[in-house]
Amino acid sequence: MDGGSILETIGVEIIGVMSPVSICMFLVVLIVYSLSSPTTSSDNQQVIRTAANLVYLESSSDTTTQKLEGALLNALVFVLLITLVTFLLVILYYYRFTNFLKHYMRFSAFLVLGSMGGSIFISLIQHFNIPIDPFTFSLLLFNFTILGVISVFSQGVPILLNQMYMVALGIIVAAWFTKLPEWTTWVVLVALALYDLVAVLAPGGPLKMLVELASSRDEELPALVYEARPNVGSRSGNRGPNLGLLLAGFSDGDPIELRVMSSSEDVVQNGRGMNEMRSENEEIDGVRGVEIEGETLPLMGSSNERARPVANEEIRESNESDRSRVLERRTEEEEERGRGIRLGLGDFVFYSVLVGRAAMYDLMTVYACYLAIISGLGCTLILLAVCRHALPALPISIALGVIFYFLTRLLMEPFVVGTSTNLLMF
Amino acid sequence: MTVAAGIGYALLALGPSLSLFIAVISKKPFLILTVLSSTLVWLMSLIVMSALWRAFLPLKTAAWWPYTILILTSVCFQEGLRILFWKVYKKLEDILDAFADRVSKPRLFMTDKMQIALAGGLGHGVAHAVFFCLGLLTPAFGPATYYVEKCSKIPFFLVSAIIALAFATIHTFSMVIAFSGYEEGNKVDQCFAPVVHLIAGMLTLTNLAFGGCMIGIPLLYCVAIVTLVHCGKMAWRRLTESRSREGNFSNSQ
Repeated sequence: MDGGSILETIGVEIIGVMSPVSICMFLVVLIVYSLSSPTTSSDNQQVIRTAANLVYLESSSDTTTQKLEGALLNALVFVLLITLVTFLLVILYYYRFTNFLKHYMRFSAFLVLGSMGGSIFISLIQHFNIPIDPFTFSLLLFNFTILGVISVFSQGVPILLNQMYMVALGIIVAAWFTKLPEWTTWVVLVALALYDLVAVLAPGGPLKMLVELASSRDEELPALVYEARPNVGSRSGNRGPNLGLLLAGFSDGDPIELRVMSSSEDVVQNGRGMNEMRSENEEIDGVRGVEIEGETLPLMGSSNERARPVANEEIRESNESDRSRVLERRTEEEEERGRGIRLGLGDFVFYSVLVGRAAMYDLMTVYACYLAIISGLGCTLILLAVCRHALPALPISIALGVIFYFLTRLLMEPFVVGTSTNLLMF
Repeated sequence: MTVAAGIGYALLALGPSLSLFIAVISKKPFLILTVLSSTLVWLMSLIVMSALWRAFLPLKTAAWWPYTILILTSVCFQEGLRILFWKVYKKLEDILDAFADRVSKPRLFMTDKMQIALAGGLGHGVAHAVFFCLGLLTPAFGPATYYVEKCSKIPFFLVSAIIALAFATIHTFSMVIAFSGYEEGNKVDQCFAPVVHLIAGMLTLTNLAFGGCMIGIPLLYCVAIVTLVHCGKMAWRRLTESRSREGNFSNSQ
């Protein structure tokens, strides 16, 4: 009797997107919460320089006007930088530097997981006094990083691993961004939401161009995008093909690493730190790719298959025949698996930044912001079902999140604290 | 140690809701969405109420009547919202049925409707526990605890967790009762939810007196148990009725 109920079928996709976002936000809140405990907050105010606070460094002695002006300037510079980089990306993609872009994404994934993730792990280890020696730690970190790099674009790895690493990347970058000063965070978030709106919807907006270009070429977006796809089929059905793809992923992985070594120097110097590099390309891609991919090639329904040829162009010829064989075998499953909602990693990051910032004030604001963001995401997904083209995921959520944060902080907190410290509830 | 205590308080308030969520709700995506939206509705009602009362807070007087008015207005507002919630749900039910017809699946069963009501109530209950108990738990993870003057035997966090548990139960199951009341046009069930909510709110007024929590909390739990039993009876009655109806239906065929 329960088997046929439509309650089980409605909203699967929405939950498929919401649950990773929730996990990401939850873990960011945990990290922020445990690392910024009251004992440490006074002494370690080491401010980091990133693209988001290039112009102005907030200090608590400044007046409100100074803070506001500085924050606005910071946001302006940040959005300009992101716009520039996104246009660069579009140009590169237009002239089919796809491999360069993919390797660049892998490289930035390497940097993020290795250095930023590493520093977060180190501070967690210090905070919880975990006994671990440097060699073990670096070995574990290296393996973690390499696996992450492999999983970013090579489609051979299980989709679950890919999703986990996407969430991990989001968590690390967001945890890093929560170190921005308070005013700058809010203004940057709002500015990004506005930018997102323009970039995805306005004619000539870089992200719109990117998405259109990608769909006209039937290629995967050259970007870090979370795919909500049912991962059941890929695990149970086709173990054989998956192994083959995993191998392909490995052979693809080696040259990348070499490339990383050679190019790492200039990338590091031209960025003021990988932090902003990261944020930029996060943004880029991140930026937006909510897109239903139901309308793809009839045969290669799954983006899994579509992406692979692009990702490993080098080995394409060599296993062309192999691939087509695999394709035939998988065609049937693909029809079921091909549909999924994709959410840019940038959305993960900035949702989590908002929640993480709220976590620095109180738990109550965290819940309010979480609910606001999730319902904003829900609204966006419903709109997506209506409009059927790529939509910006930040504006509604960020707007609701910011509104609810300030409403909670200014109105609700005194009310709730006032009543409940008298043990009055209703 | 304090971390353990904090987690313990949180689980005390939310444990039953959590197990209900995992056992019933989490398997059906639509119910998760219902929980989320009903939590959001409750949060918005709280924000509206606090906006109305912001000007008068914090209350300086020790008198109990302003608090009575506060609870009265809040309960009235939330019960009004419950009726609104029901109207929206009614529309949604039609949409869902139309959708089910289109994909040639069976329409909503009665158990499905009750599960939706349960999810809606759970959202209210969870929101209550989260904002009135969990939101204040931050200091509980620190190296101390806090006692309220009026209830000096038990730590504040423990009291609020216990009260929050009672309220979560009341909210969760009174929604099921109210929805079935609206559906069957049963006046008693329709009035049950507001009355229980109001009684429970008024019972917390006893906490304003010295040592009042010793009396108020047991009474509150009585109310919660009454709600639970009433809901159980009602669900049992409806289930057996529908089963016998189904039985008759198949017999007559």
